[in-house]
Amino acid sequence: MAEKSDKKKKVKVVTKEKEDLQQLMAAPIGLSVVGQSLDRTDAFLKVSGKLSFGADYPEEGFLHGKILRSPFPHALIKSIHVEKAKQLPGVVAVLTAKDIPGRNGFGAILPDQPVICGDKVRFVGDGVALVAAESERIAEEALERIEVDYEPLPPVFDPIEALKEDAPKIHEKGNLLSYNKLRKGDIEKGFAAAEVVLERTYQVPILEHVYLEPDIAMAIPQSDGTMLVEGPMQAPFTVRRNLSAVLGIPINKVRVRQIHMGGGFGGKEDSPIDIGCRAAVLANHTGRPVRLALEREEVTLQTSKRHPMVMKVKIGAKKDGKLVAFEGVIYDEQGAYAGLGPVIPPAGGSHIHSMIMMPGPYEIPNVKVDAYLSYTNHPYGGAMRGFGAPQVHIAHEQAMDELAEILGMNPIDIRQKNAFKQGSVTATSQVLDQSVGLLDTLDSCAKAFDWDRRYRETGYLDKERTKRRGVGIGMGWYRTSIGTSSDGCGANVYVHEDGSVLLFTGITEMGQGAFTVLPQICAEELGVRLEDVRVVQPDTDIVPESGPTVGSRSTTLMGNAIVLAARQVKEAIFEMASEMLAVPMEQLEAKDRKIYDQKHPNQSVLFREVVAKCMGKGKRLIGQGWWAPPMASLDPETGQGNPYFVYTYSTHMAEVVVDVETGEVEITDYVAAFDIGKAINPRTVEGQIEGGVAMGIGYALMEEVVLKEGYIQNMNLQNYLIPTSLDIPDIKPIILEVENKYGPYGAKGIGEMPNIPATPAVLNAIANACGGRVRSLPADPETVYWAIKEKGGPPKH
Amino acid sequence: MGTVKISFKLNGCDMNVEVLPNTLLVDLLRDVLGLKGTKVGCREGECGVCTVLLEGEAVNSCILPAVKVGGKSVVTIEGLVKENGQLHPIQQAFISEGAVQCGFCTPGMIMNAKALLDKHPHPSDGEIRSGISGVLCRCTGYRKIVQAIKTASQAGGRK
Amino acid sequence: MSYAFKDFHWTRHIPIKNYFLPKTLSEALNILAEYQGRALVVAGGTDVLPQLRRREIDAEALVDITHLPDLKSIEERGERIALGALVTHASITSSPLVREKAKLLADGAGYLGSPQIRNIATVAGNLVSGQPAADTSTPLLALDASVTIASKDGERIVPLTKFFLDTGKTILDCRREILTRIEFNALKEHHGCCYLRLSQRKALALPILVCGVLVKVDKKRRVIEEAAVALGPVAPIPFRAIRVEEALRGSPISKEIIEAVGTIAIEECNPRDSLLRGSSLYRKEMAKVFVKRGLQKALAQVGFPVT
Repeated sequence: MAEKSDKKKKVKVVTKEKEDLQQLMAAPIGLSVVGQSLDRTDAFLKVSGKLSFGADYPEEGFLHGKILRSPFPHALIKSIHVEKAKQLPGVVAVLTAKDIPGRNGFGAILPDQPVICGDKVRFVGDGVALVAAESERIAEEALERIEVDYEPLPPVFDPIEALKEDAPKIHEKGNLLSYNKLRKGDIEKGFAAAEVVLERTYQVPILEHVYLEPDIAMAIPQSDGTMLVEGPMQAPFTVRRNLSAVLGIPINKVRVRQIHMGGGFGGKEDSPIDIGCRAAVLANHTGRPVRLALEREEVTLQTSKRHPMVMKVKIGAKKDGKLVAFEGVIYDEQGAYAGLGPVIPPAGGSHIHSMIMMPGPYEIPNVKVDAYLSYTNHPYGGAMRGFGAPQVHIAHEQAMDELAEILGMNPIDIRQKNAFKQGSVTATSQVLDQSVGLLDTLDSCAKAFDWDRRYRETGYLDKERTKRRGVGIGMGWYRTSIGTSSDGCGANVYVHEDGSVLLFTGITEMGQGAFTVLPQICAEELGVRLEDVRVVQPDTDIVPESGPTVGSRSTTLMGNAIVLAARQVKEAIFEMASEMLAVPMEQLEAKDRKIYDQKHPNQSVLFREVVAKCMGKGKRLIGQGWWAPPMASLDPETGQGNPYFVYTYSTHMAEVVVDVETGEVEITDYVAAFDIGKAINPRTVEGQIEGGVAMGIGYALMEEVVLKEGYIQNMNLQNYLIPTSLDIPDIKPIILEVENKYGPYGAKGIGEMPNIPATPAVLNAIANACGGRVRSLPADPETVYWAIKEKGGPPKH
Repeated sequence: MGTVKISFKLNGCDMNVEVLPNTLLVDLLRDVLGLKGTKVGCREGECGVCTVLLEGEAVNSCILPAVKVGGKSVVTIEGLVKENGQLHPIQQAFISEGAVQCGFCTPGMIMNAKALLDKHPHPSDGEIRSGISGVLCRCTGYRKIVQAIKTASQAGGRK
Repeated sequence: MSYAFKDFHWTRHIPIKNYFLPKTLSEALNILAEYQGRALVVAGGTDVLPQLRRREIDAEALVDITHLPDLKSIEERGERIALGALVTHASITSSPLVREKAKLLADGAGYLGSPQIRNIATVAGNLVSGQPAADTSTPLLALDASVTIASKDGERIVPLTKFFLDTGKTILDCRREILTRIEFNALKEHHGCCYLRLSQRKALALPILVCGVLVKVDKKRRVIEEAAVALGPVAPIPFRAIRVEEALRGSPISKEIIEAVGTIAIEECNPRDSLLRGSSLYRKEMAKVFVKRGLQKALAQVGFPVT
């Protein structure tokens, strides 16, 4: 295996890309800031309790906003009476649909969710009225006094039922929100040539993000008519766009300021639009600052979720394990509103991503995928760490294991035979011409995990034959970028007279470490230290448009923009240094606050001296960088094209012990290897890996928003379970660097990838341990117990 | 609703405050006394980000009526930093081991770690994992947090 | 299905108007009497405060008993151990006396919630909550516990088997009465015991099943003299599996009897289907597994491994 990987690396790739992209790939020698596990720039404030999250901002002068919620999953609003609420002392405003000044609708892609429902409600928790009051308690009392007369409508809760002709219509245009197709090769010929065909259906539930910081938005009207909205958010520019339409004011009259986030995981892409618009409507109406903070249960009830799906998979293979055909059908449940689901070019919602990723990171000549996205009367689907990819990985990675079992193959052999390598052609016919380290991750993961031995040694652990050990693998790939026309990132770099640097980007810090990794790139380029660069908190009035902080795009896309911006400044600095040192510019290097002659390293000038001189001579040291990845393409009829410009790859291996009498699962070991191009800060990369895997383990074993007739049964954290410190093993991360020629220092994205193959790795390990295959998640003790029963009981030996 | 006068020690200082009968400790700390380092994540004692020390024991301040701390000592995350700004070894280890991501669970996590190390200066990995099992973290997968507590214990994490 | 306003709306607000910290038992009982059912007894408050916030219970005032004297001790009194009402789960878990002479209770208490909850939550409160899943109920049932209830009319002592009435309901009226003391058997050398728990995660989790088992063996005759098996939450209240115990009493120690009583255990359970914590059928099956395992473990402790 190792031998093969080495050969592959020798393949020389000829590229035809633009020059500036090639410049970026040039790996600099002797990095001093990039590649170092430097302490996070925000860690001191966080450990000392001094960092202000949204809820920590002073409340003085703020009105408190509250939302009256629909108690029905689907109903018409016949009438609404707010007089009694308005009469309550301390109530400043009670708003209904008619009070929205602009468009009564918001959404990241399609503005189909009413800010305040006027004629009908579409899920339990839908907003029916808004109240602003002098205290939260008064606001709550006011809500209770609002009288709403509903006429319940028949609801629909199943994505397949919703597509039937006689299904209740949730939105006027019908329940099919998106239908997308992927067609490659000749699927019939493919299956005709197959010697083995496997057909399976896999199902995944709705998931809640459970970022620990509940959502909050503050809307503060400014004297010049501008509306300022502050809060933790991943997509300030999307919030701004929605605010402008809802308030009916131009974009330049909306200012959005992002506050440090206590976790986002995709969830704070949608929800800040929701509460931001609602807070702003109240602030606009009252002319006073309004604070809208959600309680934990409200977060679960109101905000976006990971899409639940039913996935049908049919795989055809030769006896040697070579895949020849893949057919998939996805019934993707959007819930009540469009959120981040639908595909409305140029926006590619999570749905298209699910379709593209569904056949897995494997070479398959004939592929057909049909993907349906339906409205239902459930909470709506948005982005959650993997944007439609975790679901389909659960399908293809389990199917690969099930196929391997039929063929009598070791699960790693079947993957090795089919996995992407350099030059592979994907299901969308994209040629992967660079940075394809999937087999390297398989190789190093297998070695570190000692797969071959452990795979042989599975079986009972105890005399009583109650505990069985098993191992499982999950492989995966994930995009870097959103892959649409709006995928560009902008950065500004200001160098001040004392050599200190300000970095302006629209990328938000949600815990992932962007405010450490991005200035590391800036510092490296300029030859200063990390502590010399301060990142400016994203503020749409101040930072360049940068798109949302999603799609594992920040380090790569913004990193490039920063490199470009920093190089503009650096050029001016080198020009000056060249004069000062009497050395040609090409011969200079900047490092550790010095500019020096590469040929005579003891010949140097201080960075700040050069900077001061530049300033003195009227040279402004301001750099502006803009970087957009190579244009994405995808044919709407065939799903063929290059949807994303580069991918991260990974292999996970898990060892579990299953109690075959109770169905309890314990994860006893875990190794996960990643090809991420270049780790700008290896320790933060490890942090992403360990956290992402833990979240994937939660998906596998315990997480589910339990719904009964449209009502969430587990709104609090007592009943919606995420893994505790006792449920997660000591995860061992492995970082591999197969250079991405389009990335800063060769980097690719890492934020989402770790979450994705973790779930199927655990499910495959469970099946390996006890024979029970869980095709409908989560694999909680009872589900595993019945899976074992279905298999005819635990293995005999 | 009448107020209740209580006296207690907060981070080593004597405090005399008037609270409402239904004021929770976390709201007293955050809203009345301005110590916002203690976070609120669920208001049910299920996530642990609101953990403070009461008489040296870790407790969830979101479900503890403020009147209950009368006559007792309370330590919050702010109380771990020395007057000269020097961090507690646990805080230092959380930085150096990369145990902080979004930071929202961090104060609760550190307070639990403090309670643990004050009782068991050299805990095993299993004891550390049990000790912090009442604080949820969605970012880190716990590994670096366990490592940080171990590092702090080796550095003499007490006091 | 009927849903109320409170099912979709939340605030931080705890709707009480008064909070009392009486210094004596009679003062506490007097306050309760004055409020005529509108005041609620609270100790740790880890159950009550969230319930008040969720508007699941209603009270005008809380009567906090944590300042009452003499309720924090854990004492051996002859063949029994007595706990004051203010003994927390953490102090039970770390008590050498309880660890030695009622290990299943120490283990059960150690599973409750989280370290922070165990530091505050009292064992008495755990019983008063009346939840069939309460972690100390099954161990205490197995240990033949009794509770002392104080009211204006005086004290009464009630065996725990008569204490639970329905889910969330006990014979104690926590708006008028106070549970002051818990007493239970101290185990001896020939006793084996264990507490088993099944849950979806390893901390902060309400259980799918809990089981407290106690056996007393005649080592010479290799016979089970006495057995106590308590189960929860597989019925509206935690209970002693009487028919299982009868079948075990006087039976020679064997694999067969252990398997056989597991089947009896199923018949004694009547769990409802729970969307969150398992189907009735699964929990019955688990009752069988846990009774078998509990007995195996308890017997192994006294030197009779049965596999």
